[in-house]
Amino acid sequence: MDIVIDNLPFLLKGAYYTLLITVVSMFFGLIIGLITAIARIKGNRFFRGIAKIYVSIIRGTPPLVQIVIVYYGLVDYGVELDALTAAYIALSINIGAYVSEAFRGAIQSVPSGQTEAALATGMTEAQAMRRIVIPQAIRYAIPPLGNTFVGMLKETSLVSVIAVTELMRSAQLLVAQYYVYMPFYLAIGLMYWIMSTVFTFILNKIEKRLSVY
Amino acid sequence: MLQIKDLSKSFDQNEVLKHISLTIPAHQVVAVIGPSGSGKSTFLRCLNGLETISGGSVTVNNHLLQATDSKKVRQKTIHAIRQDTGMVFQQFNLYPHKTVIENVMEALVVVKKQSKEQAKKMASALLKRVGLQEKEDAYPSRLSGGQQQRVAIARALAMEPKIMLFDEPTSALDPELVGEVLQVMKELAEEGMTMVIVTHEMKFARDVADRILFMADGQIVEDAEPKVFFTHPSTERAQKFLEKVNEF
Repeated sequence: MDIVIDNLPFLLKGAYYTLLITVVSMFFGLIIGLITAIARIKGNRFFRGIAKIYVSIIRGTPPLVQIVIVYYGLVDYGVELDALTAAYIALSINIGAYVSEAFRGAIQSVPSGQTEAALATGMTEAQAMRRIVIPQAIRYAIPPLGNTFVGMLKETSLVSVIAVTELMRSAQLLVAQYYVYMPFYLAIGLMYWIMSTVFTFILNKIEKRLSVY
Repeated sequence: MLQIKDLSKSFDQNEVLKHISLTIPAHQVVAVIGPSGSGKSTFLRCLNGLETISGGSVTVNNHLLQATDSKKVRQKTIHAIRQDTGMVFQQFNLYPHKTVIENVMEALVVVKKQSKEQAKKMASALLKRVGLQEKEDAYPSRLSGGQQQRVAIARALAMEPKIMLFDEPTSALDPELVGEVLQVMKELAEEGMTMVIVTHEMKFARDVADRILFMADGQIVEDAEPKVFFTHPSTERAQKFLEKVNEF
């Protein structure tokens, strides 16, 4: 126990990186996901096809493989990214596919009458989407996005393999130094759990806030 | 005001509207009645481009929409037509995430590019006109069906349309709420609005409309003044329909 407390600052620094990677990846993932969802619903055949292939590849391959492709694989083509950047890119692309599915379901659950009403008042398709459909879809999307978000938080542990010193790797480094496993792994397990719980709590709050009507 | 020539509409192989032609002059109130599945709603939705027409043409206030036009031209025409038409739906279709006044303001701000203050003033006046000024800041879910439909009418009127299209505006309402909506529509008719109303309210059609279109199987079977239509329908289809309606 003491050994963990002595090294707490080091672990907290790892937790900071875990949070940072989660939030940054989620941010870009939301943008990628929204664009992909709209491409799949409203796009022409070309964009629909691309979006579909993207989602299929990401969902059909392990995130670990995606991470090593971005970090190690791209080196063969002269693209040398630092580990943190590679983590952002790989995880954003990964999460974007899952976010797009959440958005797609949410957009489709907004009744078509909403779009028709907006069009009938003279709005363009894009205006109806932006002003009427998406604000309602976001509310439907919050529960599945919350799951994705918490999933992302845990998935960040995978980037320890490319030497990003997030929470998981922090523990591994301490284990290598002290030759004891359990205290450190239990400690980071607890820290992951606390972060997940706090995220879930915040998302529930947001969901409540959005359901004023 | 409204000219329809040889209008056809098919869903896949199913021909829903069959070569409809008619002209509706300004300030006329037209009630479209007929059995369900006769194509009334589809007909109405073709008038503002919510359904793509398969054949013929629709002219609304000098905007000519032809089935043969390219997609781009049709989109442009439909957009112009929608500026001149207001539509009221059976299910109200108010925006649930916006308050009553925001519902009415929305198109003024987004489509007409008015300032918020300007739009608010106009929306407020319209809500007063439909008797709902005290509900301005409520969300639609807090309103009764009749109130929601009156907001929907105010929302459509905000764009200052030349023609109002009503798609069974009272069919989703509890019986005791029908009257307040019909009253607003009646006032609108008296002010000289051009209106096309798909409805099952026979009494309203008889009292308020200038003209009855009776539709069956995708065609306009009868086109007459209410007095003539309700007392001496000339076709057997219409006679049978009215007998059924009057049974109760």
